[in-house]
Amino acid sequence: MDTEMGQPALAEVQQIRVNFTTTSPDLQLPEGRTQLLVPADIKRYGLSRVLNSESMLNTSSPIPFDFLINGSFLRTSLEDYLKANGLSAESTVTLQYVRSLIPPVFQASFEHDDWVSGVDVLSDTARAGVWSGDKFVTGQDRILSASYDGLLRIWNKSGNVIATSASSSLGGHSASVKSAKFLSASQVASAGLDRTVRIWKYAEADDHLSGTLKPTLELYGHKAGIESLDVHGPTGRVLSAASDGTIGLWTTSKSSAPAAPAALLPGANASASKKRKIASSAPQRGPLSLTQPHTSAASAVLFDPADATIAYSASQDHTIRTIDLTTSKVENVITTSHPLLSLCALRRSGGGGGVLLAAGTSARHITLADPRVGAAATSVMTLRGHKNMVTSLCASPDNEHSLVSASHDGTCRIWDLRGARAGTRAEGGGAVSESVYVIERESQKGAQKSKSKSDVPGRGAKVFGVAWDRSWGIVSGGEDRMVQVNRGRDLLAAD
Amino acid sequence: MAPTKPSLKRKASVVEANHADHPQSDDEFGDGLLEGVLEDESDDEESEVEDDDNDIEGDTLDADDDDELDSDDIPTDDEELGKKQLTNGAESDEEDVGPHYKIETDANGGTRYVYDEVDPVYDSDDTDAQEPVNTIGNIPLSFYDSYPHIGYDINGKKIMRPATGEALDALLDSIEVPKGWTGLTDPATGKPLNLSQDELELLRRVQMNEVPEEGYDPYPDTVEWFTSFEETMPLSAAPEPKRRFLPSKHEAKRIMKLVKAIREGRILPYKPPEERQREEEEEEEIHYDLWADETPRPPNVMHIPAPKLAPPGYDLSYNPPPEYLPTEDEKKAWEETEPEEREKEYLPQKYDSLRKTPAYDQFVKERFERCLDLYLAPRIRKNKLNIDPASLLPKLPRPEELRPFPTIASIEYAGHEGRVRSVAIDPSGQWLASGGDDGTVRVWGLADGKQQWKVKLSSEDPVDVVRWRPGQETSIISAAVAEDIFFMIPSFGNPELEQTSRDILDAGFGYATNGKQLTTANGAARKDPPAKWTRPGARLEDEGVLLKATVRSPIKSINWHRRGDFFCTVSPSGQRSSVAIHTLSKHLTQIPFRKLPGLAQTASFHPSRPLFFVATQRSIRCYDLQKQELVKTLQPGARWISSFDVHPGGDNLVVGSYDRRLLWHDLEMSNRPYKTMRFHPQAIRAVKFHRTHPLFADCSDDGTLQIFHSKVVSDLMEGPTIVPVKMLKGHKVVNRLGVTDIDWHPQHPWCRVASIAKKTKNTDILVVCNTIQRNDDVSVAQPPLTTEVAAFSHVVEFYGLYKEGMPSQASKDHARFYGSQKDHALLKGTSNGMNQAGTNRDAKETDYRASKPDARMP
Repeated sequence: MDTEMGQPALAEVQQIRVNFTTTSPDLQLPEGRTQLLVPADIKRYGLSRVLNSESMLNTSSPIPFDFLINGSFLRTSLEDYLKANGLSAESTVTLQYVRSLIPPVFQASFEHDDWVSGVDVLSDTARAGVWSGDKFVTGQDRILSASYDGLLRIWNKSGNVIATSASSSLGGHSASVKSAKFLSASQVASAGLDRTVRIWKYAEADDHLSGTLKPTLELYGHKAGIESLDVHGPTGRVLSAASDGTIGLWTTSKSSAPAAPAALLPGANASASKKRKIASSAPQRGPLSLTQPHTSAASAVLFDPADATIAYSASQDHTIRTIDLTTSKVENVITTSHPLLSLCALRRSGGGGGVLLAAGTSARHITLADPRVGAAATSVMTLRGHKNMVTSLCASPDNEHSLVSASHDGTCRIWDLRGARAGTRAEGGGAVSESVYVIERESQKGAQKSKSKSDVPGRGAKVFGVAWDRSWGIVSGGEDRMVQVNRGRDLLAAD
Repeated sequence: MAPTKPSLKRKASVVEANHADHPQSDDEFGDGLLEGVLEDESDDEESEVEDDDNDIEGDTLDADDDDELDSDDIPTDDEELGKKQLTNGAESDEEDVGPHYKIETDANGGTRYVYDEVDPVYDSDDTDAQEPVNTIGNIPLSFYDSYPHIGYDINGKKIMRPATGEALDALLDSIEVPKGWTGLTDPATGKPLNLSQDELELLRRVQMNEVPEEGYDPYPDTVEWFTSFEETMPLSAAPEPKRRFLPSKHEAKRIMKLVKAIREGRILPYKPPEERQREEEEEEEIHYDLWADETPRPPNVMHIPAPKLAPPGYDLSYNPPPEYLPTEDEKKAWEETEPEEREKEYLPQKYDSLRKTPAYDQFVKERFERCLDLYLAPRIRKNKLNIDPASLLPKLPRPEELRPFPTIASIEYAGHEGRVRSVAIDPSGQWLASGGDDGTVRVWGLADGKQQWKVKLSSEDPVDVVRWRPGQETSIISAAVAEDIFFMIPSFGNPELEQTSRDILDAGFGYATNGKQLTTANGAARKDPPAKWTRPGARLEDEGVLLKATVRSPIKSINWHRRGDFFCTVSPSGQRSSVAIHTLSKHLTQIPFRKLPGLAQTASFHPSRPLFFVATQRSIRCYDLQKQELVKTLQPGARWISSFDVHPGGDNLVVGSYDRRLLWHDLEMSNRPYKTMRFHPQAIRAVKFHRTHPLFADCSDDGTLQIFHSKVVSDLMEGPTIVPVKMLKGHKVVNRLGVTDIDWHPQHPWCRVASIAKKTKNTDILVVCNTIQRNDDVSVAQPPLTTEVAAFSHVVEFYGLYKEGMPSQASKDHARFYGSQKDHALLKGTSNGMNQAGTNRDAKETDYRASKPDARMP
């Protein structure tokens, strides 16, 4: 549809001059074609068709586009947008077009024996794959799942279990594993309610159809169950957050790790009535440092993506603390108004770099906080939409303005921070954003109808862990004993 | 007047004399008017009449003038004649004047003068002396029948009986009846009574209805005795009375009146009417404008103008449009209705021209009705009270301002096969223990809802109560199954914690004999100790159940002392041993009360002081464990208390009852409730205070639980503020059992110290008794409702998920609460007085029961 040709016919409709821009080099418009007169009542679909027309981009197959005006998506007609923002119809509107999002369609589910508490991915684009460098074999995309039965499982793309960790009697975790992460393509760290952090060596057979997880190190030091874990591959550091509020820093290096505190070792209590015969072949070590910055259960901890000497920890005592790992000192405290259950870091390219911390709360929303010491406003944005506690977060691998969250309400939600609006007074003001996509649990599709209103949101389908990878997509695991994989590419408009 | 009696005598005696001397009576009867009668008549009756008349005359006439008048005024010819005769008679008597007596000798030889009969001179006044008068008095003459005489005269001489004729004479007499013969005998004289000619004439006249007196003219010509003509000779020689020549005072008074009236102008001289009218016209009228300077004012506030009549409409026209004319039916209906009930008082009628319109016959009536309406219909301005009802309600903070409080269900802990009877959150706030009808105790991760530990204590009996031992250094669960109390240590992969817990449980075995010592110390030869403390058996010991205490009857309630060494159990059916206080460190069980009034329901320790509360069905007793005495008896007024909880501050108590009441007690104030709330349609099962936040909640069989914000201030003048903030629904009611137990998440201690943020997470947990059809579906639903959730419930609203009506519910709670608070204001007013009155009684009771509590607590 050529608007210039259609102009006489639509004479009565107001025309608005628009200027198309884009940041994607492959979608640049020819010079002189960027300015157009479009009818005022045109919407996203019309604009997208205009862009795809022969006179414009002349694409072979139509590419759906989204349009950004002043950094926010155009959701209404142009006319309505101008009215809502009090802009003149005479002025030229600059529309930035980006590829439109494709819903994160369901791809696969991997069934477990027990609830899945945490997931991690290994691929060439994932963090562990990058850290592995040359060691990573192309195509060796794996999923690591931690389960409440105390086992770690590694899955390949076809949904087969490549490796399972040893059971408790064989040196595995003696209680539920709450979190597990790939350190590299051959190393896995896990932690759980048995208060230990375990480092596993992961080795695959040559056909990449089977593998082994061998415990290489048992790290003792926490006196309460470990809720969360983060790893930094290049330095071999592991961070753990325990439910008594302590944060542990550990090393995967057997030699540099200090000795384990004897009192915490299994069998230390001779009077324990139930002495398990533990075939512990793995050496036992202690923490590099163990601090207790929090007064309540620490629920999440992570390394700064850019600087491995800085850690951020979130706790149920409402705070996010910045910890300098070299000195084990708390550098900064961000106090929110709710108990925090999860944490992830978003890189920020603009504004002097740094990260933006997203923390999931038990009040069903996600708080975005600026961890810099000198930040004027610590609370940046609130993401609202979950119906239950937000238990896990993961940043998008593609860009800096989107993330995925997992919640007890049985959904994962994908958020785009660009689509923010001003919060109402009831919401406490500030910028508020809503989710772009909602990923339901595939296992609950059939049971949806029987749900009544009074039910607890996400009954029987709580999601405990989520990971987002460019090649894997969105991987989440939860109470339904499934690891669910959803498509994760091109979900959000790039800019 | 005087002569009545003598005249009677005279009459009786003298009849003839009357006839003979009839002019004698002239003097006596001087009355001119009766002259004619008197002359002819000498009858007794007549004379009486005359006397009377004479009397009357004497009365009326002046005494002086009588004689004169009589003599002078009535000079009749007859009288003059009589007078002449009288004088003649007198003259004859005077001639033979000599000695009037003869001298005789009487029987004694003395001289006796016998006087001659007095021959009264004619003109003498003595009328009695005219003839011999019988002096026998008033006795019948028959007494003298046998005598020749018939009496005596005045001189004592016999009056001889007149000779009676011979029978022949009598016959002759009878043949030759003289004129006036009556055949009667005059009793006075004994002679035949004959009537005279005059008497006969009189009788005839009477019979003939004529005037008895002959020649009497009933209609004589008027004699003008007193005329206006002045006689030359006055009738009276009386001097002119004084008044004739003195001016009359009365007249002077009347004249003065007139003078005054004239002076005042009330009496005007006569003027002809035309002249007067002219004058009046000439007189100029002066008018005053009273309202000349009046400024218009607004009408009085109470003024209500009379309602105006509506202007006439088309139907009042003489020629209305046809649509206004009534149909036949309407006409009929109008005529049939009562005049008072008619909508309109007229029927529209059509006339061809205005000329043909008749006079309005209802005009007068209509005007009259209108006047009645205006006059009788009261037009009163009613002052409406314009009070906003909301302003009368007490000021309560809005629930939104009282955040945080739990608002929605967030986690369900599924796994129990049967009813869940009790829940408890561990002191660290990470675990949730629950016990139910399936005989198991389960421990769940509070945050994720994952069952972490489970033990089956019994296959028959349900787990009635589950309670954690206070203190974070251990993790010991106490659970009651029938008569047994089990102590268990769930394993979370924390050997140190387990070890300390184990040590604490095992410590008491060193005192294993204490039970026996206690019984002997009590002096009572009890067969079995209050409780047996044993190992539960190898199977349970392997699973973490390390200790068992068995009491005498099934336990329904366990409450720990804050230090974690003592706990109390209540077994309502336990008679004397229903309330027991156990010492865990010594495996010691004591029965503090030998007797309780009523069935014990639950018991609890005071959060800070050595006080012990025991709830029976109707009252709660507070005992001091150190002094071992009754401190206070609370009377909540409930019929069956189900549970109570002591405020962490220690001064307040909230009681829930099976009769649907929730009662707030101020321990300092009264033994009556400070506030009674009746919000639940079903029995209240449990109430619980939050340990750190100003919140409490109750749960009910109706499947709901209500969250209250309760602000307790230290100011004694101000009572606690209780605001219902939220009603949580969603629990299913199965077999009329709703929510059975409730517990709050404990608070983290740092909050008091740091006070950076408001608080940490607090989670309240409740358990539904769900017995759904399929066995494995039976689940515990315990939504941990976080405060944070509450704070942002508007988010939910924004996304349209607020449909459950949370705000409206809150406001409804609010509204309901106002009612009760008003009640309570009254109640509070009265309870103060009652409190004072009750103190004495309390004191007495305290004395009386001082020896009762048998607590051996250190």
